[in-house]
Amino acid sequence: MQQYIKKDNYETVQLDHEWIIMNTDHFTVTKLNDIGGFCWSLLENPQSTEALTQSVKVQFHLDNLNLSIHIEDFLRELMEYGLIQHAV
Amino acid sequence: MYNLHFTIGEHHFFIKTPSIKIKEFFRHNYLLQNPTNSTSDLAIYIEDGYGLPFIDYEVSVIKTHNEIIYKRADYLIKLDHSYNNAYLFIHDELALKHALMNLYSSYIVQQNWGLLIHSSCVINNGMAHIFSGHSGAGKSTVARLSSPRELLADEATIVKITSNDVVVFDSPFRSELNGKCFPSPYKLESIHLLNQSLSNSRERLTRGNSLIQLMDTVFYWTESSTDARKIFKLLHLLVNQVPVYDLYFQKNNTFWEMIS
Repeated sequence: MQQYIKKDNYETVQLDHEWIIMNTDHFTVTKLNDIGGFCWSLLENPQSTEALTQSVKVQFHLDNLNLSIHIEDFLRELMEYGLIQHAV
Repeated sequence: MYNLHFTIGEHHFFIKTPSIKIKEFFRHNYLLQNPTNSTSDLAIYIEDGYGLPFIDYEVSVIKTHNEIIYKRADYLIKLDHSYNNAYLFIHDELALKHALMNLYSSYIVQQNWGLLIHSSCVINNGMAHIFSGHSGAGKSTVARLSSPRELLADEATIVKITSNDVVVFDSPFRSELNGKCFPSPYKLESIHLLNQSLSNSRERLTRGNSLIQLMDTVFYWTESSTDARKIFKLLHLLVNQVPVYDLYFQKNNTFWEMIS
C-alpha cells in the first residue's frame, strides 16, 4: 500500500482555522483548511490514503462516500507542490 | 578615496569609493554623518565602470566558501559570510540604487531584523501606514494623493519586526519623491493592498491570507532555504501584529476617511 510522508523543506504556521505551509526550496505557499491541516500534521509519519481517510472520518465525524477520492486528490496536490514524498 | 558614513534603519554604513560620481550620489540621496568612533555594521567598497546598462531584474546568486555573490548585468555584489564587508561593482546610478536595495534586504533578513517591502508608506497622526500592490496598482498614486502627509517610502519600505513591535524607518530607496531622512521609527498601524475602484471600501484579510499576499511584496534575492524560513517567520510575526486590508480606492484622497 502506497504511503506518503512530509519532506523536510517546509515551514508551517497555523493562523485561526487556516494552515499556511511554505515550501522553502521553491518559495511557494499553500493554504489548508482544518481538515487539510489535520492531514498535514499526520503526515509527520507515513500515511496511506486509506489510513488518512479513516483518521479524518473519526476526527471530523464525516461519512462521505467520496472522502477517499478527496484525500487522494489532496495527496496528489501536496506531491505536486513538493511538500510530501512517497515513504520508503 | 572618499569615505562616507550614514545610517539606514538602525544600521551604520561605511562607504569607501574612488568615484566622485558615487560620492555625489550619496550626498544627494542620503543623510551623511560625521565619522564616529563606533564601528560600522557594514563596510562597503564601491567602484563604477562595471558591466552593461540595465537589461532586466534577473540576479544570479552564487555562494562560495568565502562569500556570497549577487550578479546582475549592471552590478556585482561580493559579500562575506559575516555580512560585515561588501564589494560593489556597478555600471551606473540605477545599478547602484538597486544593488544597495539588494544588499540591505539580504542584510536585514540575515540578521532576522526585518524586511524590505515593495510599497509606499505614509505617516498619519504619528503612525505609519503601508500601501502595497502589484505594479500599476497605485503605490505612487497613493503617495502623491496623501500629501501633505509625510512619506517614509514611495517604493521600498523598511520594516523592523520583533515579537512585540513592528516599526517603519525612513527609506532612502526612493523612486520619485525624495526622503526627508526622518530620524526615528514610526509604529506600523496598517497595511493596505491596493485596488483602484470607482468607490472606496476596505476589507480586512484573515491572517493566513495576509501572510500569503505579503509574500509577494517582499524584496528578496535569495535561493537559500534558511533565508526563506526567516522571511516566512518574520511575516508570521508581522501579520500577528498588524492588520492587512484589501483597499479599493477612488483616485482622490477620500480613502483616508476609512483609515483615520
